[in-house]
Amino acid sequence: MITLRGLTKRYGARTAVDDLTLEVRPGAVTGFLGPNGAGKSTTMRMILGLDRPDAGTALVGGRPYQKIENPLRTVGALLDARAVHPGRSARAHLLALARSNGIGRARVGEVLEIVGMDRAAGRRAGALSLGMSQRLGIAAALLGDPAVLMFDEPVNGLDPDGVRWIRRLMRGLADEGRTVFVSSHLMSEMQLTADHLVVIGRGKLIVDAPLGEVVAASAVRIRSPHAGDLAVRLRAAGVEVSRTGESQLVATGASTERIGDLAHEAGIRLHELSAQEASLEQAFHELTADSTEYGSRV
Amino acid sequence: MRRAISAEWVKLWSVRSTWWCLMGAAALMVLASVTVAAALGSHNGQPRTERLAATEPVVSAAIFAQFALVALAMLVVTSEYSSGGIRVALQATPIRGRLLAAKALVVAPVMFVTGVVSGAVGAVLTYVLLRMEPFRAPVTLAAGETVGDLVRLGAFCALVGVLTVGAGAALRSAAGTLTVVFLLMMGLPLLIMMTGAPALIDASMRLPMFAGLAFMESVENMTGGPMPYAAGEGLAWLLVWTAAALAAGYVVLRRRDA
Ligand SMILES: Nc1ncnc2c1ncn2[C@@H]1O[C@H](COP(=O)(O)OP(=O)(O)OP(=O)(O)O)[C@@H](O)[C@H]1O
Ligand SMILES: [Mg+2]
Repeated sequence: MITLRGLTKRYGARTAVDDLTLEVRPGAVTGFLGPNGAGKSTTMRMILGLDRPDAGTALVGGRPYQKIENPLRTVGALLDARAVHPGRSARAHLLALARSNGIGRARVGEVLEIVGMDRAAGRRAGALSLGMSQRLGIAAALLGDPAVLMFDEPVNGLDPDGVRWIRRLMRGLADEGRTVFVSSHLMSEMQLTADHLVVIGRGKLIVDAPLGEVVAASAVRIRSPHAGDLAVRLRAAGVEVSRTGESQLVATGASTERIGDLAHEAGIRLHELSAQEASLEQAFHELTADSTEYGSRV
Repeated sequence: MRRAISAEWVKLWSVRSTWWCLMGAAALMVLASVTVAAALGSHNGQPRTERLAATEPVVSAAIFAQFALVALAMLVVTSEYSSGGIRVALQATPIRGRLLAAKALVVAPVMFVTGVVSGAVGAVLTYVLLRMEPFRAPVTLAAGETVGDLVRLGAFCALVGVLTVGAGAALRSAAGTLTVVFLLMMGLPLLIMMTGAPALIDASMRLPMFAGLAFMESVENMTGGPMPYAAGEGLAWLLVWTAAALAAGYVVLRRRDA
């Protein structure tokens, strides 16, 4: 269980993480989504006690990270797969980590086998491919058999087989009752893995909901010869509306029934009123459209 | 704490640079000892007549050879920052002081042993060389004196190593650390000596390089004579510098984001 309360981090004038409050529960894969620069990595670093928050707290199993004895046995995390001395062998890297937390040497061999690296164990970390580095990072995260796992963009650089492998691994870890917190900027990826979604944009929490709910929060498409008038009426009734064409509107936050009733009261003719099965990708785009830090506005 | 030390020990011996630095330090120590011995073995072409301890040239040699050890101690910290491994290390050992202490406690004995062993080889070679033609100098290698000198040499190396670990944690970059430690251990004292200003030189005598020479009871060195204070005071100054560097490293490690 990971608990964030009012977590805030500023870099100069920029607020990278802004008053984040949420709970990441055990037994599920929680997807941590946001566009580039949203503050996902910064949040994870604060959870691990690497960066100091400007306000708020991050607790793992009810304790701040620094208060956990032998933390690798409680929390396993992969932040940056390349963060290994390039001259050190994969096995020595894991052995040093095992020693630091009183984990038996045999466990090193075990995790190397789990990630399918037993034959590359003697290779220098600098000579590993990105995919292999990623596997080494996951081996390190699994080393202490922890109840809480965090992965920052674990599928980066993996081939399709590797991606499927990670998906199955995370699924398995969650099914064993562990807390799995995994960040990504790819909604499509999370659609296949996550049970629960946390979406942030510019450091602020946008959504914290089960996957199903996020997908279901779909938009309603409306066509009407009096689209302009209808938009005014709907807005006045508290419905969020955007105009997508001369005679087209997209409304969110209201059912087709409600919109139909409102149009009827106003005496406005409708040519189309349909609920859209928004894909998660679309939902994500809509959610974060206002909070994209980089990237083009189309 | 024991676990953090054990992890640092594994890390130290699992990279090749450690071996290169140690071999470099030993080679430099022995070569410089012999070179200084040859210089001290004669006066203006005349054979030397005053007594000379075989460990005396070794002390001067250590002032050069220490930089290979500085490189090793520096890498123990700065390679963590250049690779990003510091974040992994702090995930495993989140108490910052504990991580820094573990690094210092692994570096110190390695430096000590390297200093003692390479110093012993340097002293024996000095003894053999100066007994031969053309020197035939009154060189001594008395057991008690030699052991004491070698232990002090080892302690000096260990303290310089720990000082470097502290500086590395404070500065994080290899270039910055090397520059600062070089300035403290050689650059600054030599520069100040060249100014010839007595007040400045007097103050500079407390810099760790001269403090080290005093601690190791060097009598014939680049200052042209014995140091103006006792070995005990030299050790005290060395400890002050080392403690200051460690404290600076600790404060930065505690305060700054990893
Ligand atoms: N050490 C730092 N100094 C200054 N600014 C930083 C630092 N680290 C992060 N930032 C800024 O904080 C914001 C959040 O960055 P962060 O890396 O947490 O985003 P992210 O969601 O992980 O993005 P990505 O998907 O690109 O990995 C960005 O604007 C980034 O520029
Ligand atoms: Mg990131």
